[in-house]
Amino acid sequence: MQSTPLRRLAAASLAAALSAAALTGCGSSGDSGSGPAELTYWAWAPGMDKVAELWNKENPDIQVTVKKQASGDDLVTKILTAAKAGEAPDLVQAEYQALPTLVSGDVLADISDEVKDAGKAFPAGVWQQVTLGSDAVYALPQDSGPMMFYYREDLFEQYGLEVPGTWQEFADTARELKKQAPDKALTTFSSNDSGLFAGLAQQAGAKWWTTSGEQWKVGIDDAATRKVADFWGGLVEEGAIDNQPMYTPAWNKAMNTGEQLAWVSAVWAPGTLTTAAPDTKGKWAMAPLPQWDASKERTGSWGGSTTGVSRDCDHPEAAAEFATWLNTDPEALAALVKEGGIYPAATAAQTGGALAEPPAFFANQPDFYTEAAEIAKTTAPAAWGPNVNVAYGTFKDEFGKAAKSKKAEAFATALESMHRATVADLTKQGFGVAG
Amino acid sequence: MSATVAPGPRDTRYPPGARAGSPVSRPAGARRRPGRLVPTAVLLLGAVYCLLPVAWVLVAATKSGRELFSTFTFLPGSGFADNLTDLSAYRDGVYWRWMANSAFYSGLGALLSTAVSALSGYTLAVHRFRGREAVFNVLLAGVLMPPVILAVPQYLLMAEAGLADSYLSVLLPSILSPYGVYLARIYAAAAVPADLVEASRMDGAGEWRIFRAIALPMMLPGLVTVFLFQFVAVWNNFLLPYIMLGDDEKFPVTLGLYTLLQQGSNTPALYTLVITGALLAIVPLIALFLLIQRFWSLDLLSGAVKS
Amino acid sequence: MTRRGGASAGPRRAPYVFLLPGLALFALFFALPIGYAVFLSFRRVEVEGLGLGSGAREEVWAGLANYTAALGDSELLAGALRVLGYGAIVVPAMLGAALLFALMLDADRRGRRETWLRGFSRLAIFLPYAVPGVIAALLWGFLYLPDVSPFHHALGAAGLPEPDLLDGGPLYVALANIAVWGGTGFNMIVIYTSLRAVPTEVYEAARLDGCSQWQIALRIKIPMVVPSLVLTFFFSLIATLQVFSEPTTLKPLTNSVPTTWSPLMKVYQDAFVKGDIHSAAATAVVIAAVTLVLSFGFLKAANSRTKQQGATR
Repeated sequence: MQSTPLRRLAAASLAAALSAAALTGCGSSGDSGSGPAELTYWAWAPGMDKVAELWNKENPDIQVTVKKQASGDDLVTKILTAAKAGEAPDLVQAEYQALPTLVSGDVLADISDEVKDAGKAFPAGVWQQVTLGSDAVYALPQDSGPMMFYYREDLFEQYGLEVPGTWQEFADTARELKKQAPDKALTTFSSNDSGLFAGLAQQAGAKWWTTSGEQWKVGIDDAATRKVADFWGGLVEEGAIDNQPMYTPAWNKAMNTGEQLAWVSAVWAPGTLTTAAPDTKGKWAMAPLPQWDASKERTGSWGGSTTGVSRDCDHPEAAAEFATWLNTDPEALAALVKEGGIYPAATAAQTGGALAEPPAFFANQPDFYTEAAEIAKTTAPAAWGPNVNVAYGTFKDEFGKAAKSKKAEAFATALESMHRATVADLTKQGFGVAG
Repeated sequence: MSATVAPGPRDTRYPPGARAGSPVSRPAGARRRPGRLVPTAVLLLGAVYCLLPVAWVLVAATKSGRELFSTFTFLPGSGFADNLTDLSAYRDGVYWRWMANSAFYSGLGALLSTAVSALSGYTLAVHRFRGREAVFNVLLAGVLMPPVILAVPQYLLMAEAGLADSYLSVLLPSILSPYGVYLARIYAAAAVPADLVEASRMDGAGEWRIFRAIALPMMLPGLVTVFLFQFVAVWNNFLLPYIMLGDDEKFPVTLGLYTLLQQGSNTPALYTLVITGALLAIVPLIALFLLIQRFWSLDLLSGAVKS
Repeated sequence: MTRRGGASAGPRRAPYVFLLPGLALFALFFALPIGYAVFLSFRRVEVEGLGLGSGAREEVWAGLANYTAALGDSELLAGALRVLGYGAIVVPAMLGAALLFALMLDADRRGRRETWLRGFSRLAIFLPYAVPGVIAALLWGFLYLPDVSPFHHALGAAGLPEPDLLDGGPLYVALANIAVWGGTGFNMIVIYTSLRAVPTEVYEAARLDGCSQWQIALRIKIPMVVPSLVLTFFFSLIATLQVFSEPTTLKPLTNSVPTTWSPLMKVYQDAFVKGDIHSAAATAVVIAAVTLVLSFGFLKAANSRTKQQGATR
């Protein structure tokens, strides 16, 4: 790892001072002699420690310790910093869009030799995200977040609304609802979660980052994304939908009391609704996302994560073996579904088994997961780049301004700014950038 | 950079007309009454302003997840016992471990910090030596660099010293507090008379003994304040442990609560647990505050001058 | 109790020995990281090609590039201006309230046991300082957001207009309120502890001279706690220039607070979201320099003023 003279000097004096005080610190690197391989695993999925216990019982020679983390944009920086100091954990949970950043930061090891043909267990579109389109394999997919349309079945009936099959119908539904009940809204355009917008653009066919040769090509301001931005900007401008952010106490209340009738979300929405809108249990239904082209069913993805092996890991084979078990073994996946409430990325696990029953919140829709599996198959390919964090950060600011202004053209301007900031950042860092 | 405000020896500190040592006598009773009511009224007003939001935490902790977002803000709920059980059950009671960790970081950190602040503050206030102002200004300048940017270099240095992800990595950087040194200097200047120190020297007392046996007791109420501030500061510190620690068994309670809030996109935040946890996390601070209040009622100067 | 080793330090050597622990800690946990941060601010990461695979990333000297970028950043300047507006509300309101409460706590003491109401108020006013940031976010979300706010509820019921607290001018007040709420108690305690250090006899003398409570507060108490006031002002000024948690708290609740609302939020954004520690370090150094000039300039001014006053009397 890069170690500058200054840092060495500083560290040496720090170490000297500390050892003078006769204090012993515990180094974190595991012994690589005989005895079991000790692996640490940074993850945020709830119940991951329980799943790891199953493994530890069966595999006395590979012991995995889960260290629970808070998820979020800053976790990527925390991992990058740890890796810089040579202290990265052996295994990390990472979101798909963070993979290029982590690979570029030299955190993740190529485990293509260790995982062999594990790729067959996953849909091609998902697998391509962990290989970054190369021959390398940087992580194993754990869960995925195919996007869906959630709506209040009871209120849709009350207002005589149809479940929209296309985005055009979605807009009409929003207007119709406003006409009948001006104090309600179909949904809101939220500027505080970039993942949702990215998923919607993905559905429309956008490819935000692509490579040609040794160069990155940024396509944030492409025709597909512009279509999406204009669509939502238009709805906000005419007042057909709300413009306030999601996940605030006010949003929870709006969901709970039926002020908002629908939510464009992903397969994990039932869990969120359980906490955000507990009074609406059994009143929601799930349908495929509205389409741009009704003849070609597509969906985007929002959320989902992978298991990667770090370059600091002393036992990459053991770590890859665990990661493969965790994300492809039926017993492990069943435990992940039960303990962590995740939606597995492995195709075989998406139906039956632990997912035979619908989520408790959606007991009224017995075929919830059958339908979800159908929708998951239509997931459009995703294309992430090494500075998703920059693009996402700019999204929040620029689209926040746009949503506040309630002007459709502000949405187009915001998209341009987001594109420009992303390209500028790549150029500044020295990446090869095409046109 | 030789600016100081902190008072040196106390000769110039009293405004004219305010001489200590005048005979004490009963003042006229006529002015007493309004003088007592107004302050209390003003204080109560402030108390209400400050307590209203805290009351929210109290009320919200009694609400079940269902009630939290549906019933009126200040209407108590029915789920406190359940919330408490759930919190204790979460990851086999890791919450209590976080509390213990916080108590350790804050207790030991604040104690050491107070000791260092007292010694430094006393020295800067009472001793005259070459470079005094420079030392003071340099220590103060430590607060100029935003902690946000110091966390990463601190982590990298700790990692090279083999201390990343250890209790020490959080404890050690918390010990020195420029604010504490500054406060201790002010209190020492106010409470420790220079002539008393001089007199003790004449009597042949060593410098350490003067500090330990004479100055320290006089500074006590001020030091108690420093301890309180440091305790709260370490208790609520977030960024340093966030960067330093990877092992949630070593997390302090603030960081633990943060992991409950940021569960990842597919899992909702555990609001009820967070709020209940936050309420419980305030309780030790209240207890500490009540304990420390007793020291403030001591007169700083009584006792010492007479001896 | 008595340590002979320490006792041997003569008056000349003693101050240096006594300052050793503090200075050693300072060197290790402040000076070194600060130096390292400054070093980082002159570096940058150079990526090659796609930047994938190991060795594609290299840390190189950047010269002043990070600084020119920081100084030329209009968002940083805008943030600085926002913070000035915010500070103009926070500092006077917070310190004014803290001084007022401290004087009220200390009013009319004369050896009498203080009433429980005052003890209670003191605790109550200090309490917000103990509320951690994540909870403050939730709490103020509930109190500010129109749909869930009990105040909006009350205003609506009374037929009064309901202002949007999270936009435009009111946003500054909303942000300042969080800071004032959280910081008043802390400053009150600092000033109050100072007041307690003033011997009761001083007041009695003044009272005998016929001074009212009000006059005692104005003419004796306030001048006596000037060092504490200077201290609280100094640290409040720095805290204001480094404001971070209040806007970060409100950010997710509204479209009106960008991720770069204050200069320090931009530093955080650069360092922890964009992962560009080098730009962040340069910006932080700029903020530190500005803070240095303003806060130490203030200290110097306050110092010479007190000296002057001392001389004329």
